[in-house]
Amino acid sequence: MFGFLIENNVVCHAVEAMVFASIACGILGVIISRMSLSSLGFTMSHAAFAGAAIGMFLGIGSQMAAIFFSAFVAALIGPVSDKAKMAADATLGVLFAMSMAVAIFLVSYMQYMGRGLTATNLLFGNVISLYREDIYALAAVSALTVIFVLAFFKEISALMFNMKIAEASGVRVKLVYYILLFIVAISVSLSLNIVGGLLIFVLLVTPASIASQFCFNVRSMFVAAPMIALSVSALGVWAGFKFTLPIAPLVALLLTFVFAISVILSFKRRINYKKY
Amino acid sequence: MSIIELNEIYTAYEGGDKPVIRDLSLSVKPGEYVVIGGPNSAGKTTLLESINGLIRITHGSATVCGLDLRRSGNEVRRRVGYVIQNFYFDPFTPFTVEEVVMMGRYGRMGLLKRPSRSDFEAVDKAIRLVGIEELAEKTIGTLSGGQQQKTMIAHNIAKEPEVMMLDEPFSNLDFNAREYLQGIFKNMAGNGTPILMVSHAFDGLPETRIHLVVMNRGRITYDNVCDADEVEPIIRDECAVV
Repeated sequence: MFGFLIENNVVCHAVEAMVFASIACGILGVIISRMSLSSLGFTMSHAAFAGAAIGMFLGIGSQMAAIFFSAFVAALIGPVSDKAKMAADATLGVLFAMSMAVAIFLVSYMQYMGRGLTATNLLFGNVISLYREDIYALAAVSALTVIFVLAFFKEISALMFNMKIAEASGVRVKLVYYILLFIVAISVSLSLNIVGGLLIFVLLVTPASIASQFCFNVRSMFVAAPMIALSVSALGVWAGFKFTLPIAPLVALLLTFVFAISVILSFKRRINYKKY
Repeated sequence: MSIIELNEIYTAYEGGDKPVIRDLSLSVKPGEYVVIGGPNSAGKTTLLESINGLIRITHGSATVCGLDLRRSGNEVRRRVGYVIQNFYFDPFTPFTVEEVVMMGRYGRMGLLKRPSRSDFEAVDKAIRLVGIEELAEKTIGTLSGGQQQKTMIAHNIAKEPEVMMLDEPFSNLDFNAREYLQGIFKNMAGNGTPILMVSHAFDGLPETRIHLVVMNRGRITYDNVCDADEVEPIIRDECAVV
């Protein structure tokens, strides 16, 4: 897609992957951060990680297994929270621990069996070994995310404002919430190859947190967060190739650095000391 | 004909050893001004949330706006306004007062629909009615508790509800604001929209016949019509008896 801009095929794929993952994760991050569901990010990322480990262990496609397992976890979150009358955050904690246990168990076992290297890729990602199909899948999920937000913008806004007030207004809260969970599951699973199970959380939460330091309304946050993710990721990919550095952790560190700067510079925090 | 008809309903929370609401029957007609009083933990908020289906009724039958509550909870919520008791909006909440008031209409708009001209008109009217025009462009998290409360009242007025339920709607408001809003609710009742209000503050009640419901330990102990100045003494007596 960006072949006309970047000659090197490997770099081109890496940039394309980062761009599409940034769009999807940046937009979804705005929603889950505002709904105080940041733990959804790490639960889904570890569910995808566990799914990929299962796929690898069974010798089936790790990406498809990641999608199925994280979709399975997404399907559990809502009903388990409702049934157990627990806050979604507590349910996420339980499912996170379960996913992590499955993943560590299988990765350790595979290392013991001499298949450790491929398993480690799941942890840290491998942005330079992507296939064209991976990029198309990421492009599709970014488009799906954009369509989801445009189609359900008013319901999503109501959920982000206050879930109980939204429900009392007659908004179909559960339907939109469950769709959100599934899109997060698919986005995270597909992004796993790029930054890995441990760092995908950064792409989900940090750009939205940076945007919230400067944006006063939700529309601007939905534009700013993916733009921030996209710019920083592209810079990370460029610097990674230029200075031969590991790309995923570099992107994570750059995003964290930008977050720190944004907290310091945020004009939303300024106090007016003027006397009138 | 009643707009709310509850027949021997029970409501229980999971894990609770006793139902919060027990064997409760209530009938509310269009245009009634209902005040629900009683001590803490009497089940007043639970009653409101049972009426709009936020809390499931375990036994008995309930009809609201002509709909069976057990089958059509979401449709009931689209038609019933409910100002909740406790809310907190952090200073970074990225929604303006105007957007929050518009959200009151999201349920009745339905999925995949955009606000129409009539929605914007209803929002504008609600904002002007409550008197928060100067706050319309401000983000809700930067407002005082009283201003936030007025915004939530406008949010529900914009909904053009068939029933208006209010849970401690004046807890953050000064006397003038309370009296002004009571006047708005009286007008709504006059236009046929019943008002159900849970409150512990009875000053500024409109000079109209009040349908007083007193609750204690999940049951209704008093259900009759009285004058506004009789509300507080009756509640005191009823609470002292039990």
